[in-house]
Amino acid sequence: MSNQTATVATTTHKPPSGQKSWLRGVWHFLYQHRRGAGSLVFVLVALEIVARYIIDNQLFLASPTRVYQAGVALGRSGELWTHIYTSGIEFILGFAIASVVGIAIGALMGLSTTVRAYLEPWVSALYATPIIAIGPLFILWFGLGITSKVLLVVVTAIFPVIINTHVGLTNVDQSLHESVRSFGASKWQLFRMVRLPSSLPFLVAGERLAVARALVGVVVAELFGARAGLGYLILVSAQTFNTANLFVGVIVLAGSGVIAMAVLQRLEYRLSPWRVRE
Amino acid sequence: MSVGNAPVKLSVEGLSKVYESRQGSTVALEDVSWSVNEGEFISVVGASGCGKTTMLRMLAGLILPTDGRVLLNGDVVRGPSADRGFVFQQDALLPWRTLLDNVLIGPDVMGRRSEFVEEAKRYISLVGLDGFDSYYPHELSGGMRQRVNLARALVVDPEVLLMDEPFAALDSQTREVMQAELINIWDQARKTVMFVTHQIDEAVFLSDRVFVLSPRPGRLRQIVDIDLQRPRDLGVKRTARFAEVVDQIWKLIEEEVRAGIAEELRDAKRQREGVPE
Repeated sequence: MSNQTATVATTTHKPPSGQKSWLRGVWHFLYQHRRGAGSLVFVLVALEIVARYIIDNQLFLASPTRVYQAGVALGRSGELWTHIYTSGIEFILGFAIASVVGIAIGALMGLSTTVRAYLEPWVSALYATPIIAIGPLFILWFGLGITSKVLLVVVTAIFPVIINTHVGLTNVDQSLHESVRSFGASKWQLFRMVRLPSSLPFLVAGERLAVARALVGVVVAELFGARAGLGYLILVSAQTFNTANLFVGVIVLAGSGVIAMAVLQRLEYRLSPWRVRE
Repeated sequence: MSVGNAPVKLSVEGLSKVYESRQGSTVALEDVSWSVNEGEFISVVGASGCGKTTMLRMLAGLILPTDGRVLLNGDVVRGPSADRGFVFQQDALLPWRTLLDNVLIGPDVMGRRSEFVEEAKRYISLVGLDGFDSYYPHELSGGMRQRVNLARALVVDPEVLLMDEPFAALDSQTREVMQAELINIWDQARKTVMFVTHQIDEAVFLSDRVFVLSPRPGRLRQIVDIDLQRPRDLGVKRTARFAEVVDQIWKLIEEEVRAGIAEELRDAKRQREGVPE
């Protein structure tokens, strides 16, 4: 039913012809995401009404317009950029280390059954553990600076990378493997020509999980003790009952998450042009 | 037969394969010996469980025999190599490679890609896929993918072509066309071919000789010479002689096919009821 209405709508709501192509692109994007955009607008308006007329207490709820004003003020003073920069560096470093080391460990586990046998219990136990809980220890060991944050990001983000790399390398379609082996391919050639490319989708999925976990890692690490960063901004705002500033921090984080996911999606398309697009 | 005095290309001596598992050992193939001359087209038929695919995989070197040996030009086969081209039943194309890149897998393995690009294009055109070089496997139909498989096996100019039920997944019309095309290609390239199939008419249409295997354990039961005149076209299938030969082979395996079906029924029941064997 919804499908039917959608097709009817597409035919009637064609963008006016003869316009610039980017304008048409924007129109197309908005049109495609009209339901999502609609629900965003609805919630924002509802929040505004609730915050202004129903829960008229700035401690509990900040209206979207006030959050916007707070964001502009934080941006003008330069404070916001410091926080974004600090958290950004922690995120990028932690995520990069988790990716490189995670892929390396996952590859070793995928290639050697001995390595897998030694590491498997640790990986599966720690994957399910909320490692974030030992954050305070990291602050204790590595101080209030960037090191403790980066390390906590690494240990929270690394496990999905390890597991997906390992699973991707082990779940290779045997018929593909054999078709290349029939030409007398060496082990290394089989790895390069079959296992690696076929594990790519798993790898990217692992990275996506890692992005989400790394973001949580950054914020929580900063909550435990920091001098700057978005988590720090959130913590200080909460302690001073500045709800608007708190939301600024949350929204910037949400935005970074969305952007990071989109970048990874693009990367996946670039790396795997053969996959059927939906 | 026209190739009667050609030199022996491929032979097996006392070939056996035993699979060990927790349930015990299964003899997939037992003491099979034969030899095939250069340029011969051989088909292998038999009821399921007769070890025909196992035998083919040993010829390719993908698995090693428990006993006996495979000889190519008199040398013992010890593993897979580009001198034997294998065409798989399932289309085993790499989904991340374009059609051309899939055909070039063999040359890539040999580290001689650039020398083979022209040759690859020639074979792509020979299997009728001109202009599809840049297509990915998911953009091709089942029949097209099997053509690519064939081109991929042929491009490195193997001495022997090993084909494992290559047309099994195709619909019957496409299959007929592919059979006729395979005959054409074989006429031009004159490779030695071992063609495993469960379609008796396919075996008779294509082959100089048909090896009939019997199951449990897999043994070479009989070799049937196909005396139909070459070159053959699909019209051969409508002749009385063709029907006669097909019938003769069918009678050789009919009983075993029925026994196999009965066994499948018993197995399924046993699994459901959990009765130990």
